[in-house]
Amino acid sequence: MHDQDRRRKRGLIAFQVFVYGMLIAMFAIQLQMYLTRHW
Amino acid sequence: MTFPTTAAAGGPLSMGEHEQQSRAIQRRADRWLIAGTGLMGTLVLGIVGLPVFCRGLYLLRKAQRGGLSVRPTMVTLIGFVIILDAALNSIGWALDLFANHALITRTVFTAWGNLIDAGYFWHYNELWIGGAGAPGEKAWVMVCVLIAFPMRIAAAIAFLQMKRWGHQWLIVTCWFGIIVWMGYIFNMTMYADVRYTAVGFPVIGWWAFNIFYITPFLAIPYLHTVNREIFSD
Amino acid sequence: MSDSTIQTEDSADSLPIGTTSTWARMHKWLKRALYICLFGLVIEGSLTVPVMAVWYGWPTLSLTEICSELMKVRFSNDALECQQPYPLGGPPFGGAPEAAGQRTAKDDWGIQPKPRYERIGFRELVRIHQERIARQSAASAPPNH
Repeated sequence: MHDQDRRRKRGLIAFQVFVYGMLIAMFAIQLQMYLTRHW
Repeated sequence: MTFPTTAAAGGPLSMGEHEQQSRAIQRRADRWLIAGTGLMGTLVLGIVGLPVFCRGLYLLRKAQRGGLSVRPTMVTLIGFVIILDAALNSIGWALDLFANHALITRTVFTAWGNLIDAGYFWHYNELWIGGAGAPGEKAWVMVCVLIAFPMRIAAAIAFLQMKRWGHQWLIVTCWFGIIVWMGYIFNMTMYADVRYTAVGFPVIGWWAFNIFYITPFLAIPYLHTVNREIFSD
Repeated sequence: MSDSTIQTEDSADSLPIGTTSTWARMHKWLKRALYICLFGLVIEGSLTVPVMAVWYGWPTLSLTEICSELMKVRFSNDALECQQPYPLGGPPFGGAPEAAGQRTAKDDWGIQPKPRYERIGFRELVRIHQERIARQSAASAPPNH
């Protein structure tokens, strides 16, 4: 039971890091484009 | 209306009475929740729907404290917020697909496009099918309105009914939501010049507006860790 | 609550059904974030149409006028107007969309198109509209000498 929970916790942390990381990365990329292009 | 607790001196409610009362209050709360969500889903009447919805939440919480077995708040919250998320997206995109020449659509969408995301301004209503003309946009609109959101709403309704398949399919459709979010943003970024040039609030406007739609991201961890036994066949 | 399999001894208030103690903290934070999303969605949703209407000149300009002004900027063509109501045979029922065949839009075409219209500021459409009306009436009523 505990082992499964621990694995699940690690999986969920990985998921959240990945997904919010992607969002932040895309936001940063778009921001960088905003700063370099003449929008 | 007061709810007798199971610890009352006179002894606990009988199973039948307990179930009856629980079901009655659940139905009563759901009427408020559904009405509230329906109003909030229209976008413009949202502020009217919010207190209606909150009343439903309040009734549920009161019933829980009174010892009745009603749907857990988290299930209620996830179910209805996911429905609201899908409904708000759908109302917008359904207008873009099916009503793109109505005055309100043309005005509101091109205004929104000019202020936040020029995908809805640039060559709007020039495609044969009308609506947003930005590269790739129409495809995302169609897959969402016709496939992704109806599936998600159906799953969320079954989830609210505490059905096992609702729980399972809400997991599936929320994972679809990850794909939709990522694909949509990737496409925007590829054609960022079209989407953001001469827009009122480039980048910041879009993200500030859309960040509240990350409800699938929040639902997934819960759906994977909730005790599945509470959902029945 | 009678579900002893779910309830734990270590918290003063019982955990919600379906939540075990391992996940209680995570569920609490997810719930708060969901409330923020709910309130955010509703408030920004209610404000969207009014804020945009005012930003683009309502009530000085009517909705149709706003539509037409935006169309003129969009396709860089002062002659365009929003036809209201648009004939029912329009998209998606097979008819031609309102901008079908337009040729005046200014873009840098290529694999990465870049639009060439100008940014519109707060209530700038009102000024643009009024200037054009003034220009057109001055042009159509030339001085006699």
